[in-house]
Amino acid sequence: VTSDAADARAVGTPVEEHLDFPGGRIHLFRGGAGAPVLFLHAAGGAGTWPEFNELLARRFEVFAPDHPGFGKSDELPEVEAMDDLVYHYLDVIERLGLDRPHVVGGSFGGWIAAELAVAAPHAIGSLVLLGAAGLRLPDHPVADLFLMTPQQLGTTLYHDPVKAAAFLPADPDLDTVLAAYGDATALARFCWTPFLSNPKLARRLRRITAPTLVTWSSDDRLIPIAHGRRYAELIPNATFTVVEDCGHAMYFERPAEFGKIVVDFLAAGAEPNGASR
Amino acid sequence: MKFVYFHLMPYPYLPDDFDEAYPSPSLTFPNKHFDRELGNKLYHRYLDELEYAEQLGFDGIAVNEHHQSAYGLMPSPNIMAAALARRTERAQIMVLGNAIGIRGNPLRVAEEIAMLDHLTNGRVVSGFVRGIGWEYFAHSVNPTRSRDRFNEAHDLIIKAWTSDEMFQWISPNYEYRYVNLWPRPLQRPHPPIYIPGAGSSETIKFVAERDYTLMSVYAPSRVIGRWFDGYRQAAAAAGNTPDPEKIAFSVPIYVADTDERAHREARQHVDWLFRKGLKQGPELVFPPGYMSPSSMRGVLMSGAKPFAATSYEELLAEGYVVVGSPSTVADRLGQLQGELGFGQIIGLFALGDMPHERTIGSMELFAAEVMPALRSVP
Repeated sequence: VTSDAADARAVGTPVEEHLDFPGGRIHLFRGGAGAPVLFLHAAGGAGTWPEFNELLARRFEVFAPDHPGFGKSDELPEVEAMDDLVYHYLDVIERLGLDRPHVVGGSFGGWIAAELAVAAPHAIGSLVLLGAAGLRLPDHPVADLFLMTPQQLGTTLYHDPVKAAAFLPADPDLDTVLAAYGDATALARFCWTPFLSNPKLARRLRRITAPTLVTWSSDDRLIPIAHGRRYAELIPNATFTVVEDCGHAMYFERPAEFGKIVVDFLAAGAEPNGASR
Repeated sequence: MKFVYFHLMPYPYLPDDFDEAYPSPSLTFPNKHFDRELGNKLYHRYLDELEYAEQLGFDGIAVNEHHQSAYGLMPSPNIMAAALARRTERAQIMVLGNAIGIRGNPLRVAEEIAMLDHLTNGRVVSGFVRGIGWEYFAHSVNPTRSRDRFNEAHDLIIKAWTSDEMFQWISPNYEYRYVNLWPRPLQRPHPPIYIPGAGSSETIKFVAERDYTLMSVYAPSRVIGRWFDGYRQAAAAAGNTPDPEKIAFSVPIYVADTDERAHREARQHVDWLFRKGLKQGPELVFPPGYMSPSSMRGVLMSGAKPFAATSYEELLAEGYVVVGSPSTVADRLGQLQGELGFGQIIGLFALGDMPHERTIGSMELFAAEVMPALRSVP
């Protein structure tokens, strides 16, 4: 870890750091103090420190890396599929010196979190899946976000039409468009087919030992809420909660509600779960 | 000048509410709109037109590959080439091309083209394309792997055609423990290769260095000029002096006896081609990873207008299409040849919803009056 601003780790001022890997550099935000939380971002939101992260950082030390190829992280040629991502995050946990961190993942990041908890059950403190991708439920298909126009994507992600309309700038500049294409490319690399899922994941979820919270938005039009119920059924010791009047944008649409639910869950379990550094 | 008669085999019978109700004729346009009987007649009409082109003196007759689309009805171009093989005797049968980027098993392409080479007695031309963006949705192939898959499949096919010994093929996307092609192709070292260039400098360099034929795709002539210049520069850098016919200008053409009549008749079919057939948003054309970051930047900076926003007059002025009397069409193609320096014209004659009689009239006039005027150019 390279950081020259350790004393800037106050709430509200996350530090930006980099980790070097064989294929390139990974960018991450670090903010707050307390038991460690590894936050795995969704397909959207890389390279940012949104209000939700800020709410977590008031109670925990939050590590929020950009996935390979997303945001400000390089694409790592050696990370080309979900199994590579799992090894990648085991490396990240080790490189950051975290001992059994809480792992919080949203959407695509939730899928990574679930895979990580399956592969290395004892390496994480507790697990929070927010509108997580990863399951293949043919009767409840995930909407094809790759085929949506930006306007369609906005109205799919947000329950509130006003927030949906504000999702995209009216006339985005070239770099904004290219950055979005870059993040979509990074996502597609891991999930074009099988589409946003690992067909083997469902039967492996029984391996998870960490206390788990599964939280879904009531009006998720991207990943149907049936996925959340299935996760909660298949993961031993899982709690399932729903945030009302909210779309798949979750903590971008209702950061206060998601922040409170996640902080309360982690705070209750932090000591017994042994998350520490 | 070499002349090729190219067919897309479009399905013209779109519903009246097509413009309002459907984002594209491709990928998600419901196949309930494919009328079985009308579609059946179309295949035979279109194959008749291709066979007739040979009788009219075209040097090549060409088919291509598209999936799940009313824009083109040839998911398997090799089947169409096989249908033409023993019904023709002289013209090259051109498959422009097989979409090797989306093939699960590219060795099958090597086998089928080798068979076609025998069925045509050495007249087959093998085009290779990546496949249009929407086809990566249609055939569940990851577009972020498109370029690697294309390159690996190309290398495998060429080696399969030219190797005299069984070999093992291992590359990131394909593994074959036994490659041992039966039959080998008839042409030595293998059938001629055509590859379309759509602006990627990597592709143009790839084509020029191997002395393959570069085909243009729908674009303003000033843009095509840059591609052809890039080809000549890359060929020179590689020490090649390409035959002029290795630069091929692809263009929709309509000929009638007068300019006035040609425009009056062509307009609605050109509109169909560009506004209905090619109605497709960037989500369909550029799925994530299909374009490299630098190529995507180039596309966005080019400021090219969507086809739907380009008027008929602009399409004519910019060289997307050539329409007119025989002398007008000959003059315009001669002028474009002077600007762009091509030695082969790949003409599209059945434009969109153009009926059979009109298509036949246009290709007859082209063959009788335009081809002779341009034959000795360049």
